[in-house]
Amino acid sequence: MRTLVVACVLQILVGCSNNNKSTTSAKDTVRVVQDSGANALLPSLTYEERQGRHLYMKYCAVCHGTEGKGDGFNAFNLDPKPRDFTDSRYMSALSDARLLETISQGGRGVNKSVLMPSWGGRLTTIERTYVMAFIRLFGKPKN
Amino acid sequence: MEKGRTYFALSSVVLLVVLAISPLKDSFREWKWYQYEYNGLVSAMPQRIKPTDIGIKQVWARTLDRIDRCVTCHLGLKEKALAESKQPFRSHPRIYHDFEDFGCTICHEGQGPATSFMESVGKVKYWDKPIFPKEYMEASCGKCHKEARVLQAPILTLGRKLIEESNCVACHKLEGYSKQWVPGLDGIGSKVNRNWLVRWLKNPRGYFAKAKMPNFLLSDEDANLLADFLMTFKSFGSEAVLEPIPKKLTPASASDLEKLVELGSTRFREARCISCHPINGKGGYVATELGKVASKVSLQWLYNYLKNPKRLQPGVEMPRYRLKESELNAVTAYMQSEFIDYELEEVPPHAPDPAYHEKGLALFKKYNCSGCHELGGMKKAEEMGPELTSIGDKKLYEIDFGKDSIEHTLPLYLFTKLKDPRVFLATMKMPKYEFTDEESRAVAVALLGNTKELIPEELKVLPGPPSTYSPQGEFGKLVDDLACFGCHTMFGRGRLVATDLTLESSQAQGEWIKGYFRVPYSLRPILTERMPNLFLNDREIQVIVDYMEKVFIADSLEQHFENDQTRVTKGKILFYEKYGCQACHQLNLKGGYVGPALDKVGSRLKPGWIIHWLKDPQALNPESIEPNNKMADDEVEALTAFLMSLK
Repeated sequence: MRTLVVACVLQILVGCSNNNKSTTSAKDTVRVVQDSGANALLPSLTYEERQGRHLYMKYCAVCHGTEGKGDGFNAFNLDPKPRDFTDSRYMSALSDARLLETISQGGRGVNKSVLMPSWGGRLTTIERTYVMAFIRLFGKPKN
Repeated sequence: MEKGRTYFALSSVVLLVVLAISPLKDSFREWKWYQYEYNGLVSAMPQRIKPTDIGIKQVWARTLDRIDRCVTCHLGLKEKALAESKQPFRSHPRIYHDFEDFGCTICHEGQGPATSFMESVGKVKYWDKPIFPKEYMEASCGKCHKEARVLQAPILTLGRKLIEESNCVACHKLEGYSKQWVPGLDGIGSKVNRNWLVRWLKNPRGYFAKAKMPNFLLSDEDANLLADFLMTFKSFGSEAVLEPIPKKLTPASASDLEKLVELGSTRFREARCISCHPINGKGGYVATELGKVASKVSLQWLYNYLKNPKRLQPGVEMPRYRLKESELNAVTAYMQSEFIDYELEEVPPHAPDPAYHEKGLALFKKYNCSGCHELGGMKKAEEMGPELTSIGDKKLYEIDFGKDSIEHTLPLYLFTKLKDPRVFLATMKMPKYEFTDEESRAVAVALLGNTKELIPEELKVLPGPPSTYSPQGEFGKLVDDLACFGCHTMFGRGRLVATDLTLESSQAQGEWIKGYFRVPYSLRPILTERMPNLFLNDREIQVIVDYMEKVFIADSLEQHFENDQTRVTKGKILFYEKYGCQACHQLNLKGGYVGPALDKVGSRLKPGWIIHWLKDPQALNPESIEPNNKMADDEVEALTAFLMSLK
C-alpha cells in the first residue's frame, strides 16, 4: 500500500515538474519576443488611450511635446508656454469637464491664452474624450 | 448472497447521489456567480444601476449571423459608472459600433456561444480562434474596412502601408495591393561595381539604412555567384546605349577640374538632390543613398543617367533636370569626386565558378528575384510564397512552429515570422525585412484581417476605384519627364510626399506659381522633402501654368473679393487676439513653425480659397491639422481681407 502511495506521489511530482519545465521555456521566448520593442508601452494602454495617443501625436505633440512636458518643437515660439501635462498637482486639480472644454473651445473659450486652438470643430466628441484619456496618463505616476 | 445485497444497496445510494448532483451542478454555473457578484457590486454603488436578472443573456447580430453570450457575464458594458470597475463588469470603451448590432466576437474573436470563461476566450479543442490579444484588435477592423487608410485604426493603416511598400505581392497572392515599381536589372553589368554588388546582395541595409530591398541572408558563396551572374547583363533592355564620357568631364589640368567640381557642387545644391536622396543618412528617403554612389556606379553610367534617367531606367521617378551640357559635366564630376566609399576594399581579381551562370540563375529563380526586378524578359515564378488572401483563417494545425517554442497562436506566429522570417525553419526562403516590433505587429494586424468571413456587402467599406487620370499633350509629357507623380497627387493619382495639386490653381495665383518654379522654396521651414529646382525654361513654365489654370481649378471655389481697410483692421485683431493664428503660422519672423509662413500670402493665395479654407480646412485637405474654428461669415471675410492685404 505504502509503495503504491509513494509511486503515485512520485508520478504526480514528475508530471508536475515536466509540465513546469515546458511552460516556462515557452513563456520565456514569448516574453523575449514581446518585450524587445521600444513600443512595449503600447499593449498596456486601453483602447481609448491608444486612440488618444495617435490623435495626440498628430494634433497636440507639436506644442505639448511627445512626453507631454509642454516642450514640443513649436513650444519655443509660444508665450505663454504650453501646459506641462506631467505637472500632476495642476492636472489632478483640473476636472475632466474643464479639460474637455479647453480642448473643445481652445484657450479663448476658457479665458486662457488664445495660442491654444479650439479643436471642437476638427475632432468629434468621442475623439476629444480619447485625447483626454491619453493626456491623463502623463500625470499618473509611471510604474 | 449477503455480500451481493450490500453491493446493490451501496450502488443504489451512489446512483441516487449522482442523480442529485447533476441538477445541483447546474445551479452552480460560473456565470451565475458573476451575476450575483454584479448585483452585489451595483447595489453598493451610489449611482442607480439596474441589477440584472439571473439567466443566460445573448446578443444576436442578425446581419453577421453571430450569437454571442459574452453579455451573460460582461454585464456593465453600457454603464459609464463602471468604467474603472474590475472585469468582467467594466464598461466598454466608446467606439463607433454598437455591440448590440455587431455582437462581440466579430471584433474580439473567441467562442461566442460558450458560457464559461475558459471556453469563450481561451484555446479550446476544435475552436481555432481564441480571443484576440489587445494589441492585435485592429485586425478585425480590416475584415470590413478594406480601404488603404482606416482613420480609426492607425495600426492597421500602418500595416497596410508597410505591406504595399515592402512589395509583399511580388511573392504572395494578396488582394487590394498594387505592385511597386522596382528598378529593372538590365544593364546592371554596365552600371555597378561588382564589389559593391556583392556587399549589397549580402546586406542592402549596410549600404542604405532605408533600403527597400530585404536581406536574403545569402552566404558569401551565393552572393558571389549571383553577382557574377548579374554582371553578365551589360546591355540595357530598351536598346539604350551608353554615350561616351565627354572629354570636358575629365579635364587634364587640376585647376580646371577644381572649377568644374565647384560649379557641380553649386548646381547639386540648387537642384536640391537631398530633398529625395539621403547623403550618408541625411536628407529625404524617397530615393536611394548618394553618399557612396561614386563607388557604386560607373562614371559613364552616372553621366548618362543624369542626362536622361528614364532612358536607362524606364519608370524611375527621377525628374530629368534641365541641366546644360557644361552643368551636366560639372554635376557628374562633383559627384564622382565627392561621394566615394573609402571603406569599400579593393578585392583581388576573382576567379568565377565555371558554372556561375547556371548556379546564379538557379539562385535568381530560387529567391524569386524576378518577382520584383525585371531582367532579360524573365517571367515571374508562379505562387512563390503561400497565398495570404485568407491568412486570418489559417488553422493552427496547418502551421509549422518548428523548434521555436513560442505560444501557439496565429497572431504571435505572424509577428515572430515577420521579425525573423526563418526562425521556424532555416531553409525557408522569405527574406528579412528588418521590421521593428511595432511594424511587425502592424503587418500582422493587417494580415490577420484577411479572412473568408462572410460579411454582408452593405457593411463593407471598399476602396474607391483607382484613378484613371492621365494628362495628355505637352503638359502630359512634362509630367512624365519631371516625374511629378513621384511626389504630387493629381486627381487621386500619385504620391502624397508633397501637396495635392488637384486644386492648385484655385489655391495659388498664376504669377506666384511661375515664380515658385524659378526659385522653389519651402513654405514650411521644418519639412525635409523640398521641391527641387528643375531649371525649367520660361516656355515650359508657361505650359504648366496654362494647363493648371484650365484643369486644376474648381469654379465653386472662385469668389470675387473686394478689400477695404476696416475689414483688414478687424481681421488683424481676429488673427492675433481671437484665433491666435501666430501659434502655428509665421508672420514677420514671429510665430510658430507648424503651418506655412504667411508673409506675402496676399500675393500667393486666391481670396476664394482663403474663404473656403477658413470655413472648413478639411473639406479642401482632409489631412490638414488646421483646427476648424467654425467662424462666422463676417469673421471669415475680415480675416481674408487681412491676409490678402499682406502683399
